[in-house]
Amino acid sequence: MITLNINGIDYSFDGDPEMPLLWYLRDEAGLTGTKFGCGMALCGACTVHVDGAPARSCMLPVGAVRGRITTIEAVAETHVGRAVQEAWVKAQVPQCGYCQSGQVMTASALLAKDAKPTEADIDAAMSGNICRCATYNRIREAINDAAEVLTR
Amino acid sequence: MTVFRKSVGYVAGIAIAATTGLVSYRALQAEGPEPPAVISGVPRDFPDAADDLVKRGQYLTRAADCEACHTVVGGAPFSGGRPFKLPFGTIYATNLTPDRETGIGGWSDARFLRAVRDGIGTHGNLYPAMSYTSYTALSTADALAIKAYLSSLKPVHATVPTGTLSFPFNQRWGMKLWNLVFFHPHRYKPDPTRDAQWNRGAYLATALGHCGECHTPRNIGFAMRSREYLAGTVVEGWKAYNTTSNATYGIGEWSDEQLTGYLAQGHAHGRSSAAGPMAEVVEHSLQYLTPSDIQALVVYLRGIDPVRGVGSDRVELKPAAVVASTNLLPAGDAAGGNTRGRQLFEGDCAGCHQFNGVGRQSEYASLAGSHAVNDTTGTSMLQVILDGSSLTVNGRRQVMPGFGAAYSNEDVAAVANYVLAHFGSKLGKIDAAAVAKARQTH
Repeated sequence: MITLNINGIDYSFDGDPEMPLLWYLRDEAGLTGTKFGCGMALCGACTVHVDGAPARSCMLPVGAVRGRITTIEAVAETHVGRAVQEAWVKAQVPQCGYCQSGQVMTASALLAKDAKPTEADIDAAMSGNICRCATYNRIREAINDAAEVLTR
Repeated sequence: MTVFRKSVGYVAGIAIAATTGLVSYRALQAEGPEPPAVISGVPRDFPDAADDLVKRGQYLTRAADCEACHTVVGGAPFSGGRPFKLPFGTIYATNLTPDRETGIGGWSDARFLRAVRDGIGTHGNLYPAMSYTSYTALSTADALAIKAYLSSLKPVHATVPTGTLSFPFNQRWGMKLWNLVFFHPHRYKPDPTRDAQWNRGAYLATALGHCGECHTPRNIGFAMRSREYLAGTVVEGWKAYNTTSNATYGIGEWSDEQLTGYLAQGHAHGRSSAAGPMAEVVEHSLQYLTPSDIQALVVYLRGIDPVRGVGSDRVELKPAAVVASTNLLPAGDAAGGNTRGRQLFEGDCAGCHQFNGVGRQSEYASLAGSHAVNDTTGTSMLQVILDGSSLTVNGRRQVMPGFGAAYSNEDVAAVANYVLAHFGSKLGKIDAAAVAKARQTH
């Protein structure tokens, strides 16, 4: 029996411990905000937090999770996550939106670690999250905006 | 006519004399007594079914890692066909399944023993790519248990391609001369000055595991240089690292936990993971060894004389840039002017490996302390970047994709030099030509 703490709630799971966390989140827990992109931890669409650190849930077996999981559904419960989401809305970042859950999760992890990232920091931290609509300029704008709100 | 008869007589005479000489030389070379049962065979903690010959044979077959070499990518296990590129041409591993036409079906025990321990196969002498030079030390019971296991497999009809060795290396009889000089038929002889655990480790590492076949540099005659036993060399484009007890260049400063983890699971905390051919060894062989056998190997390796070896670099365990970085952000500016390398790493590598070298969600992706990212020649790192690496342990597959098809030689060199700088605190001088060369070895 595996116990997963997702967004503050304990879930028990007695299925295959090799099941990717993303499968569990979407199909078992019904948390469909996290998206399936490449399935190989290469695109970032499925990013969630494990103890605040971004993790690719498509390649993370539930049996290997060590820590509390936060998904896009609960990211706004921290003040950093809320600032990021508000900045995202303000800048109207998404186009098709498919990758945006992952973008928001990585951006909040970045700002939680470093509230005033340089442009180079943003590039380095966000490079693993790919956006097919190329909303990168608005992503950068929103991160800078959220940083400003957080350091005000 | 008389002249002709005379010359035939001379030739025959010389041939007989040479054969007699060879045979008597062989007869004088004692192979020694069988190694005692506490040292050979399956270990004490071998789970149930110790009296099942096939189960014992399976354990020993795994310990001898027959499968890795005798299976071609995509082929049935043990059905042969895997190519071995030697400096003088390519040869192919044989089919070990009990197929009567193409495998070892119908082989007598004596014929099997001759192939495994003496290097004499169906078509004459084998090349020492088949490690009979190590397997010669096997006990008869162990070799026959391996045969019993192989005979229990499903026969696979698979004809192995003919080798492409150039003259004179395609002359199998030449191996008789090679054997006279370099091959010493012997059974494992326990070292009375060491305890049973060490001797068991030695039997595992030599007669069964044949570690030295890859980890020991070879001389000009392609035989192992005994004075540099396990001192490290390059095999098929990969580094087989120094595994002597040398503190700086070998495994002298590895903790027991690190050695055990690396051998049994392919990952040593703080020392990264096995890749390439060593990943195959862990996947097909070492992960199946019992805890007492892994422990015996650790004890044995610790007792190997320290040798400096050549072409190795000191492994930086706490590189400044890695210590300064977080999981998301690089620091310590290891890139220097290599912005291309840093950009590529940010986009394609950092997602899993992370700048602080810890590895995202899989410790197998941790790069800190890895030998490969500290080797300024980049030998193994280039292979991993180009072709990726895969390791399945305990049913879980750890995989790194290859970037050889997507990256130019310049890009591979740039990212490799960045990795050397960031994770090894070393100035890499890998250029496109080195990458082009690395591409040719696989």
